[in-house]
Amino acid sequence: MIEAQGLTKRYAGVEAATDVSFRVAKGEVVGLLGPNGAGKTTVLRMLAGILTPSSGEATVDGHAASTDAFALKRSLGFLTGDTALYQRLSPREVLRYFGRLNSMEEGLLKSRIETLVQSFQMQDFADRPCGKLSAGQKQRANVARAFLHDPPALILDEPTTALDVITGRFLLNAIREERGRGKAILFSTHVLGDAETLCDRVVLLHQGRVLDDGTVPEVIARSGARTLTDAFLSRIGEAA
Amino acid sequence: MRPLIVWHIFRKDLVETFRDRRTLFTTLVLPLVVYPLLFTAVGSFTSNKRQQVEATPARVAVWGPVPERAVEAVLKEKATVVDRRASVPLHLEAEAQKAVGDKTVDVVLVTPDGAVGPSVPVKVYADSTQFESDAMQDRVLKVLRKHTAVLLEERMVALGQPAISARPLQVDEEDLSNPARRAASVVGSILPYMVLVLLASAAFYSALDMTAGEKERGTLQTLLTAPVHAVEVVAGKYLAVVTMTLVAALANIVSLGLAIGRILSADATGQGFHMGPRVGLALFLTLLPAALLLSSLFIAVGVLARTYKEGQSYLMPLLLLVVFAAVGSTLPGVELTPVLALVPLTNVALLMRELLSGRATLFLGTEVIISSFAYAAMGVVLAARVFETEQVLLSGEKPWKDIFSRKAKGGLTPINTLFFVALLVVVVFYGTVPLMLAVTKEQVGRAIVMSELGFFLLPALLWALLLRVPLKDAFQLRLPTRRGLLGTLLLACGGWAVGLAVGSVLSRFQGAQDYSEQLGELLGKNGPLSMTMAVLLVGLLPAVCEEACFRGVVLTGLARSGSRGLAVVGSALAFGLFHINPYHVAAATTLGLVLGYAAYESRSLLPGVLMHFVNNGLQMVLLRMPQVRGFFESFVVVGVGLLVTVLALWLLRGSGKKAAHDAGLSPHGPAGPVRA
Repeated sequence: MIEAQGLTKRYAGVEAATDVSFRVAKGEVVGLLGPNGAGKTTVLRMLAGILTPSSGEATVDGHAASTDAFALKRSLGFLTGDTALYQRLSPREVLRYFGRLNSMEEGLLKSRIETLVQSFQMQDFADRPCGKLSAGQKQRANVARAFLHDPPALILDEPTTALDVITGRFLLNAIREERGRGKAILFSTHVLGDAETLCDRVVLLHQGRVLDDGTVPEVIARSGARTLTDAFLSRIGEAA
Repeated sequence: MRPLIVWHIFRKDLVETFRDRRTLFTTLVLPLVVYPLLFTAVGSFTSNKRQQVEATPARVAVWGPVPERAVEAVLKEKATVVDRRASVPLHLEAEAQKAVGDKTVDVVLVTPDGAVGPSVPVKVYADSTQFESDAMQDRVLKVLRKHTAVLLEERMVALGQPAISARPLQVDEEDLSNPARRAASVVGSILPYMVLVLLASAAFYSALDMTAGEKERGTLQTLLTAPVHAVEVVAGKYLAVVTMTLVAALANIVSLGLAIGRILSADATGQGFHMGPRVGLALFLTLLPAALLLSSLFIAVGVLARTYKEGQSYLMPLLLLVVFAAVGSTLPGVELTPVLALVPLTNVALLMRELLSGRATLFLGTEVIISSFAYAAMGVVLAARVFETEQVLLSGEKPWKDIFSRKAKGGLTPINTLFFVALLVVVVFYGTVPLMLAVTKEQVGRAIVMSELGFFLLPALLWALLLRVPLKDAFQLRLPTRRGLLGTLLLACGGWAVGLAVGSVLSRFQGAQDYSEQLGELLGKNGPLSMTMAVLLVGLLPAVCEEACFRGVVLTGLARSGSRGLAVVGSALAFGLFHINPYHVAAATTLGLVLGYAAYESRSLLPGVLMHFVNNGLQMVLLRMPQVRGFFESFVVVGVGLLVTVLALWLLRGSGKKAAHDAGLSPHGPAGPVRA
């Protein structure tokens, strides 16, 4: 469903990502783990079709970024730390705007927005400017934006960072529900506990390269460590 | 590009901008405040100050043996002596400067120690940079000159002559302008500068917020994750910035109109202005291309910045350039000329000044608007290029090489065709000036050859080669189908009627008649060209060169949009614009519509070349053979010609589809690059 095939990105002679390959199947949550500067954002941007790889191919729901980035974007809900909301629009206006950009039919869009407002418990702030919302409220609205057009694949980059426990848990449950609906979800996080409990598989990324790819027990076993955190540190230490 | 998506982006950006108080203040509130302040508050302040000075006695210092009667004369005209010294101080100028600078004295009267005799020197020191000192010096000088005249009369009487003989000439100065017109002249030279700067400020803040502001807030990336094309994003944002800038333009014009209207009813200051609805509309049309240009430049540069602050530092030099360009229009003696009409923004400011003073001419006005549109088109292309560079949008890096020297990948496109037309406008306008200066009336033939080859055929050829488009495709070098050939022949037989019909409508305007007479003198039987040369140079040469350019490169590029309307109307407008004279522009645009339709439908340059040749050639014949003019211009003959044209266009319609299909071309027209 989401597939990276030998993705490489060079900026002025520096490789931000090198030959990155992995796959996320339907109904699967895959965690993309790596320290700051590992190249996660570059890989996610290439998968989202907003950054052209120097080589390799990104595919989502059968649509290749090189030949049909447009269809790829329609099949994807994308959320990173860099994807913010319009400060002077309300969450409801933001959702309406992105629904229209996704060419959603007006009636369907209206009912979908109401459903998301209810399910993300945004009733109290859905009509307030996003600039006046708390971090948790903003993130709920942002995740709702990514879910809006009901795409078969989701890429969520650190959606729970800087959130309180209640909102964090709420979002993790929402992600589980989407998995239950058969969606392919690529989930990037610094919170390894979240990855351990949520992800079916994890991909360890360091200095732009994939260090490991497997289920959490497999990755732990291969590193000889006891926990995912130790495995993570051990693999990064080996690579360094 | 999907218009609906562009509309959604435009609407969202506009809503957001209108919710931004800072932008709203610059766009709407500032213009509404500035003009009333300028016209009333400043005017009132100046007037009050003048009245105040007139009512105040001058504080005079008298140093040295200044004749007593002169001092008495000064004291009679609202003056008091505040400092009297019997002899001149050692450091005269320094002390005078100090006294006036300290504002204890307005003027200093000085007669050097020991000065006696029939002509006693009296110097009046003042500081012209101080309003009061300058005004008091004028007052004292007037009194002293009057007193000198009185003394002279006394001497003449003492010599036994009548007093009047002291005034052999009675010289009086009279200013033809009244105070109202003088004030209007001063304010009128400043206003265009202010309007332009306020317009630029509106574009500045809107563009900055929608580009660098969005990048800083992270919303630009959010937008890019949606299924939208970069060109749709730039189009939506551009339209929003242009709208905000035009709102600012409207606010400026309305505020200006109201302020002048109020003053006209209360004061005489506005009498030198012309600010009716027609001038208002003309001002708006003048500001439109300026708004289009400023918006595109600010968007293109603004998006290069990563943050709002960085954007400010990038855009500030651009804003300063606008200020410099606008200041040029306020310099004394600077008038709108054919050359200055090509200088971006300065031309707009100068045209506004001409409009406000009622001196604008149609020719220069058209030149300003056309050249400004050309610059604006280049700005739009630059903005589109910047937005298509992903590194700029995502990281804030500035890969100049990618932006400016990116190899053309898609052959002729509507966007690069727009750029080509803009470039051509600049080349033609700048090229025409030296050509006009270098060539005499007798060398008109040489001028036509140079301009047709140099301004149209060569640029079109170079453009096609640059984009690596096969010449056969770029210039539609193919024969029409059998049906198309029949249509082509009929078009050649009847198409001239379109030109005559349009000419007959335009001949009701005096300007068109004058232009026609000028052409007659230059190209008619009294001109330097023989009949054969006139038909070859004015008929055949433009038919080949202009058709290759406009029905070739331009129409082919615009046809890639998939819209017949855009291709035909766009190429006709471009063709029309290059005829410069407003009446000729109207006639050429109408002809261009027929020529463009024929070329689009037949996928061939031939119908246009033939019709163009017959149309222009016939005009040359009619100039030399007025006896047949009546026949060709008769209602029946023109009517038959128009009917034949309609039949020809019907035959040509769709005739090129088969040719395109046989050549393996897309229905949008052949414009792809050579497959190397």
